[in-house]
Amino acid sequence: MRVVSVSLGLAGRNLLLVRRVPSVFIPSLVMPLFILIATAGAFHGIGALPQFAGESYLAFTIPMAAIMGAGFAGINSGMTLARDLEGGFFDRLQSSPAPRLALVLGPMLAAQARSILTTVVVFIAGMIGGVMLPGVGPTLLIFAFALLFAAAASFWAIGVALRSRTVQAAPIMQLVVFLSVFMSVAYVPLDAMHGWLGAVARYNPVTYILNAARSAELTGTVTWADTWPGLVSAVALLVVLGAFALNPLRHLENR
Amino acid sequence: MTAAAPAVRQTAALAWRSIITTIRLPQAWFPALFFPLVLMAIFTASFGGAPGAVPGFPPVRGFLDFAVCGAIVQGVLIGGTSAGAAFATDIEGGFFDRLVASPTSRVAILTGRLGASMALGLFQAVLFIAIAWIFGARVDGGITGFLVVLLIAVIFAAAVGGLGVYLALRTGSGEAVQGMFPLFFALLFFSSAFFPIETMTGWYAAVARVNPISWLVESMRLEIIGGATVGTTLIGIGTALALAAITIGASALALRRRLRVAA
Amino acid sequence: METRDLVREFKGGIRAVDGVSLVVESGGIFGFLGPNGAGKSTTVRMLTTLLRPTSGTAMVAGHDVMADPGAVRRRIGVALQDAAIDPYMTGRELLRLQGVLHGLARAECRARAEDLLARVGLEDAADRRVGTYSGGMRRRLDLALSLVHEPVVLFLDEPTTGLDPTSRVALWEEVRRLNAEHGTTIFLTTQYLEEADQLADRVAIIDGGRIVADGAPAALKAEIGEPLLTVTAGDGSSPEDVAGVLSRFGPIVPGSAEGGAGVRLPGGSSAMADAVRALDDAGVRFQSIDLAEPTLDDVFLKCTGRHLEGAGDEVPAA
Repeated sequence: MRVVSVSLGLAGRNLLLVRRVPSVFIPSLVMPLFILIATAGAFHGIGALPQFAGESYLAFTIPMAAIMGAGFAGINSGMTLARDLEGGFFDRLQSSPAPRLALVLGPMLAAQARSILTTVVVFIAGMIGGVMLPGVGPTLLIFAFALLFAAAASFWAIGVALRSRTVQAAPIMQLVVFLSVFMSVAYVPLDAMHGWLGAVARYNPVTYILNAARSAELTGTVTWADTWPGLVSAVALLVVLGAFALNPLRHLENR
Repeated sequence: MTAAAPAVRQTAALAWRSIITTIRLPQAWFPALFFPLVLMAIFTASFGGAPGAVPGFPPVRGFLDFAVCGAIVQGVLIGGTSAGAAFATDIEGGFFDRLVASPTSRVAILTGRLGASMALGLFQAVLFIAIAWIFGARVDGGITGFLVVLLIAVIFAAAVGGLGVYLALRTGSGEAVQGMFPLFFALLFFSSAFFPIETMTGWYAAVARVNPISWLVESMRLEIIGGATVGTTLIGIGTALALAAITIGASALALRRRLRVAA
Repeated sequence: METRDLVREFKGGIRAVDGVSLVVESGGIFGFLGPNGAGKSTTVRMLTTLLRPTSGTAMVAGHDVMADPGAVRRRIGVALQDAAIDPYMTGRELLRLQGVLHGLARAECRARAEDLLARVGLEDAADRRVGTYSGGMRRRLDLALSLVHEPVVLFLDEPTTGLDPTSRVALWEEVRRLNAEHGTTIFLTTQYLEEADQLADRVAIIDGGRIVADGAPAALKAEIGEPLLTVTAGDGSSPEDVAGVLSRFGPIVPGSAEGGAGVRLPGGSSAMADAVRALDDAGVRFQSIDLAEPTLDDVFLKCTGRHLEGAGDEVPAA
């Protein structure tokens, strides 16, 4: 199918830029690493709270860092698209018979590929800190969530890029991803939260993604009961943000 | 004394100009207020259960009392970076050259920018404490404690402003200065700005212990949560002064070098 | 290709393109000439499906631009003004990507890339990042990219703007060859009248969003008529003095000579001698005198009362 081959071609090009423009990718690689180390290091003491039930705070933080890294891998795709729109390269894509869907799927696939790398980095850092891989099932589950979240974040960033057509929109892309993770169970479990944050987190899809990842990590096994809320949330994000990304494609020629 | 008077006036004028241009550009002040406050809110809601439950946590009325000073220091860091970037933009855009070509005192170019940073730092400190106060925090050290916190914040603002100016003079690029921010952010996290150092372990604790930002924040914090002594107060003020002396001295040298080359 | 009353309105009611109707024969080179801001690029963007017309219709390569853009895109090649390239990729990579975008099989992408690199003379630079290419190299790459899928119609938007003369001539050669050997219809926009004159079989001149002239260059110039005699006033004489004498030979063409006057002379060079004598007899001094065949600039002048911008460096000094 043409959509597949063109998407792969565009994803390949997107990933090529990763090697060629390290100033863009290195930060997105360093950032989840930094979050992992800084969070687990600075707030290490919070692990003494009863709600943690003795779990290592570093282990608790790993899924959050992986998701954050996936989010930023997604943003990179949006940034590349914004640059293409500003610089005129997008004209070439638009005036070619490439299927419109591929223009979004390509960058999305690239984001997912990048998120695999950032998750690996997080896991390795965790191992250096003393937390071993949680077993095949949970590890794969965390990778799966990273892939899903990277796709969702890339849809978000792509939607912003297609509408704003400028790289100045980068802070908006970043802020929303930041807040979506920070206003979930980023630092403590839901039952340890005080006040407004608990209420917000309960409605945040990222909460359920992180909960699913963490319970698999803690118990060492993947159970349907613990996982389905996270999966449903991730899919919901994909659907909503996917529409957000694809909608502008129909009106590209109006500008 | 007569030679100093115009320099003072020019400092005030340039400081005022910096302040006005900052206010008019939301990107310049919004991050410096928004991010520290948002993090303060998230941390307070997340770690509200820490006081009393986490061994090593100092006695506090609530986590918010603990968190305010970290937010202030974070705000000052963001503000100082923006100030440096603005200064670099002035250089890129030519305003700097115009100043140099005018009879403006060289010192005023620097002190004007620093004055603006200090004013913003003061504003942030007062605002954050006021907001915390609304949500139930109290300053244990009373008026004196409050003033000490402001003093340290203002001096630290001058220090960060000085660093920003130094980077601006050396790189001449607003983007390069902004690019430094992640480093400052890392520095902030590898300190006791957000959580007590007594709860940290291993190499992380060691790094935080030698981080001057830890000394600053802890000194300010003790005024708020109680337990401040003359000693701790002097450590905070002294650290801020030392940092300010280093960065302002470096930027003064950088300014002179740039002027010599230009002239 | 055919358009009917094409209109493109922008925010604020500005009509960048105001009722453009064109017919382009297949297999020829069509020149679209006009000053900066006349609406050339906007028209091209509509024809290449990048921009939606506010009203009007356009058929390109047998398909409606609005109803079936996909079919249009498969048949056209586009080399736009800003050489839409990615500076971080190499020439070879960009060509292969273009092949992928057009749905060519992997092996075919590679083959076409090599073939085109050779054709535009970029084999040596093929593995260097495009960001390091010179302006001329970028245009050549742009041209190669537009040819990857062997288009029926090729759109070239100001292909030689900013190029040095050698590169410009080389590009003209390539355009002619494309048209001759492959029968590709070429739609060329330019602000250089010499370019339109040299390359195009037919020319349409656009100004302020409207077509002001349309036809073969030779025919358009013939319409203007006779060669133009321009005389610049010398010391002690004014342009009015010159005009006074020249008006005996025919109506003065306004704006045709700075600091002097111009008039159309039937009878060519012998009439020129008459004019010189007339000026002498009247005691009018002149600094320079020139007899020029009509150019497309004259066509433009006649239609709009202004000179074509950018024609300054093409018109021989008076």
